[in-house]
Amino acid sequence: MFGRLDWSAVPFDQPIPLITSVIIILVVVGAVALVAVKGWTPYLWREWITSVDHKRIGVMYILLGVLMLLRGFADAIMMRTQQAVAINAQGYLPPEHYNQIFTAHGTIMILFGAMPLVIGFMNFLVPLQLGVRDVAFPTFNSVGFWLTASGALLVNVSLFVGEFARTGWLPYPPLSEATYTPGVGVDYYLWAVQISGVGTLIAGINIVTTVLKMRCPGMGYLRMPMFTWTALASSMLIIAVFPVLTATLAMLTLDRYAGFHFFTNTAGGNPMMFVNLIWAWGHPEVYILVLPAFGIFSEVFSTFSGKPLFGYRSMVAATLFICVVSLMVWLHHFFTMGAGAAVNTFFGIASSVIAVGTGVKIYNWIFTMYGGRVRFEGPMLWSMGFIFTFIIGGLTGVLLAVPPADFLVHNSMFLVAHFHNVIVGGVVFAIFAGLEFWFPKAFGFRLYPGWGKVAFWCAFLGFWVTFTPLYVLGLMGMTRRLQHIDIPEWRPWLYVSVAGVGIIILGVIAQVLQLVLSIRDRDKLRDETGDPWDGRSLEWATPSPAPFFNFAVMPNVEGEEAYWGIKQRAIETQALGPEPKYEPIEMPLNSPVGVVTAFFTFFFGFSMIWHIWWLAGLALAAAYAGFVVFAWRDVHEFHVPVEEVARIDRARRASREALLARLRQQGAEL
Amino acid sequence: MSGVELPASTEALRRVREDPHRLGHVGHARAPALGAGHGETGPASKRIIVGYGFWLFLLSDIVIFSCFFAAFAVQRGATAGGPTMHQIVDVPRVALETGALLLSSYTCGLSFAATNAKNLLWTQVFLFLTGLLGLAFVLMEAQEFYGLAMQGITPQRSGLLSAFFGLVGLHGLHVTIGGLWLATMMAQVQLKGFRREIIHRLICFNLFWHALDIVWIGIFTIVYLIGSVPA
Amino acid sequence: MSDLDYDPRQYEGRLDHHEDHAPGDEPEESAGHWVLNANLGLLFSVILTAAAFGVAATRVVWGPAVADALIVLAVAQMGVHLVFFLHVTTGPDNTNNVLALAFGILVVFLIVLGSIWIMDNINQNMMPPTNQPMEMAPP
Repeated sequence: MFGRLDWSAVPFDQPIPLITSVIIILVVVGAVALVAVKGWTPYLWREWITSVDHKRIGVMYILLGVLMLLRGFADAIMMRTQQAVAINAQGYLPPEHYNQIFTAHGTIMILFGAMPLVIGFMNFLVPLQLGVRDVAFPTFNSVGFWLTASGALLVNVSLFVGEFARTGWLPYPPLSEATYTPGVGVDYYLWAVQISGVGTLIAGINIVTTVLKMRCPGMGYLRMPMFTWTALASSMLIIAVFPVLTATLAMLTLDRYAGFHFFTNTAGGNPMMFVNLIWAWGHPEVYILVLPAFGIFSEVFSTFSGKPLFGYRSMVAATLFICVVSLMVWLHHFFTMGAGAAVNTFFGIASSVIAVGTGVKIYNWIFTMYGGRVRFEGPMLWSMGFIFTFIIGGLTGVLLAVPPADFLVHNSMFLVAHFHNVIVGGVVFAIFAGLEFWFPKAFGFRLYPGWGKVAFWCAFLGFWVTFTPLYVLGLMGMTRRLQHIDIPEWRPWLYVSVAGVGIIILGVIAQVLQLVLSIRDRDKLRDETGDPWDGRSLEWATPSPAPFFNFAVMPNVEGEEAYWGIKQRAIETQALGPEPKYEPIEMPLNSPVGVVTAFFTFFFGFSMIWHIWWLAGLALAAAYAGFVVFAWRDVHEFHVPVEEVARIDRARRASREALLARLRQQGAEL
Repeated sequence: MSGVELPASTEALRRVREDPHRLGHVGHARAPALGAGHGETGPASKRIIVGYGFWLFLLSDIVIFSCFFAAFAVQRGATAGGPTMHQIVDVPRVALETGALLLSSYTCGLSFAATNAKNLLWTQVFLFLTGLLGLAFVLMEAQEFYGLAMQGITPQRSGLLSAFFGLVGLHGLHVTIGGLWLATMMAQVQLKGFRREIIHRLICFNLFWHALDIVWIGIFTIVYLIGSVPA
Repeated sequence: MSDLDYDPRQYEGRLDHHEDHAPGDEPEESAGHWVLNANLGLLFSVILTAAAFGVAATRVVWGPAVADALIVLAVAQMGVHLVFFLHVTTGPDNTNNVLALAFGILVVFLIVLGSIWIMDNINQNMMPPTNQPMEMAPP
């Protein structure tokens, strides 16, 4: 009846997961109860859960990403402390649990933390920056988000029911085959990643179509803001390589469920083929993450330097160069696994060449700051910290791209330090810069700058204190993923590393405090103008928070840095443009199809994991039925009456007039 | 919000005062151009957006197929003592399957011609024929798989057979799903007529069906015909 | 969105010539044009398919070149399908569609050829021939 599922799946005998589970369940139940008691359910359902507004969906993506970032960070704390106490000892985490933790850490941080955050930013910003009212497929956007969320839910369910994979974040066969890992851990991984992968693909298609087919009048390719360019490149990579992930995991699923021999080490299967295919996805994946991060930094650097981005066109070229070349370097993840000199040389050179594109970008950012009036606000601090951190990470990356050097340090803590160096320094710093930068646009009030600066310095210092020792340990020969350690000489470095984690924890606390205190004092921090940072791209032309239709009238772009041009004109003429003729707007209707489909897909995944075939069939049929019912709907849009449009836009114009008046006054004081 | 600085804008203000005719202006943002910019006429119509989005989806689907092709190419020699491709290919059946799928592509194209002429009857007739031919294809393939399984030739036998059944089965699965979609579309066309979004969906279906035929060209060439030639 | 609801086909004679076309779509044409297109496509594909089956079944082509000949025919037939069934053209209204297609083809080539190259190389270096049992070399 229930396949492999019975009470032994619940970890009653392991205190750590059990206590964590109980706490999480209590928190979730508490939150649901609070929502129910306060009567917020209809609001949440109407305004968020069924919303097809790209800004709401973007915010939900970011919320999901932040939660998963915390979950992954908890795993990281356990790993660092375990290694520090397990020197000539067993520590507090038994091997089977420790292995789940490092697997979950990698999977969650990349696929359920960083990906939703990056996609959240793309969703939120791309239509705003392009001057349009929504993404190309608003309803599919909602489906994509909820599929990602149900994948994330599956990963977290593995904490209470059953176990997670112990294979590392990429489940290499033959270890991940049913013969060697018969439990449900790998199945949790497979279905969670598969379901969220579909969501990601939908997001990618959506963004590319939006950028290529839905720009406001005058928004030529070479007038698009840098973030939009990077979002386009990143989404192109999603379309190109997420199918590879889907196909590869489908093959592994067939191996595990139906006895196929794609990757087995018997009967003609080829485990190396998995390694080859998964990295054909895995390497572009890191560029999917880091390209939008580069976009965020580009926006931050030019805004806070008060200058246009230096070398805009070379930046576009470098982005597309990275986008294409990143498809040709995947073998450097397995230089040591048997390829010959010719193959290794080709991929080594290709990997090094990518650094050229990145170098172009670094110089452009530095020259953007040069001669500008740099304001050291929170987002700018993260960006400057990024340049320093990312250069070091990039240089160790070039080192690893040289096959002979890679043979010495591969799979060591040096590698671990390298990729955290680029991913934390690149992606995570960008996310925090972007959160503080665009927070007013999403919620209408700014975050306290002080706590943000504390958070930055703690994260920055903590990062270096944590990971510098790992570089050293790697060079001393420590391999990654060790559950316990037999070499006492490594002890001091591991202790320093734990101290670094402590500093990062302080940073996380500062960040949470910043958020909580800012929400408490939101009226004091209100952004009345819609342009709190003296911005340059079109999202700052909208009020904060942006109305659900973004733009009452589609802007007509007349140059690079669309909003800056408009603002410049207003300053020159000392007046806003004439009031436009408002027209009624049609906006897409909310739709529950996303959450309904994802709900059933979650049960489909869960029952496939536990071999509950009848439930799987039922859930799949229900998901399909939910989808068709939606497709049958006749009315997809609703009208916003012209009075409503005019009312909202006149309020915006009034605040712009006030801004202009204030500027005039500031100018008089010059 | 009075505490916020706007230094760049203030700077611009100063420049306007000191240089009202922009004499010393070397700006990145060029002087405002007249009219809507350079042939960029704003968002495309929904028809194009839907078609293009689906086109991108198809490309990603083709990448999935390419992974299975790659697996087949890599495992072409991995017979593990089992049958080779040469021993399992039944060329006449493949020719029939190819014929059915090719004809269905043709009728699908004709149905789209009828859609463009807003002719409900012929649209339905050609869609029905397309579905019938697709069904014939799926049945022939199912029979082939069944026959092979009866001889003990299953994907569990060897790496080569895993890749073979994986690739061909994936295509068959696509055709089956396409058939379900086709049935849904026929019902929608009948009940709703040529509403705009129905036509958009027909464009997408048309693309999907033709793309499946293109994938089949790859399969019958690389898997069946090249496989049928003795090594 | 109201702006996007605009469908050029609804306003005959006002067709914007700067407008792109959806993949598989074409500017307003008579039904005869579509039927002719489909007929031509069918004709060419039948010829090419028959040629492919012929090459595989007979000895017209020199043995070792059969595989190459078949691949050439397949690529030609894919082209026929793209042109006559999917209506891909080189016109400016199709640029985006063709660029996306080119990107897709690039990815497919990288993955298929890259995998074959890498895996053959790895197999040569690491694996014994696949269908023989792995044995230790004699001392």
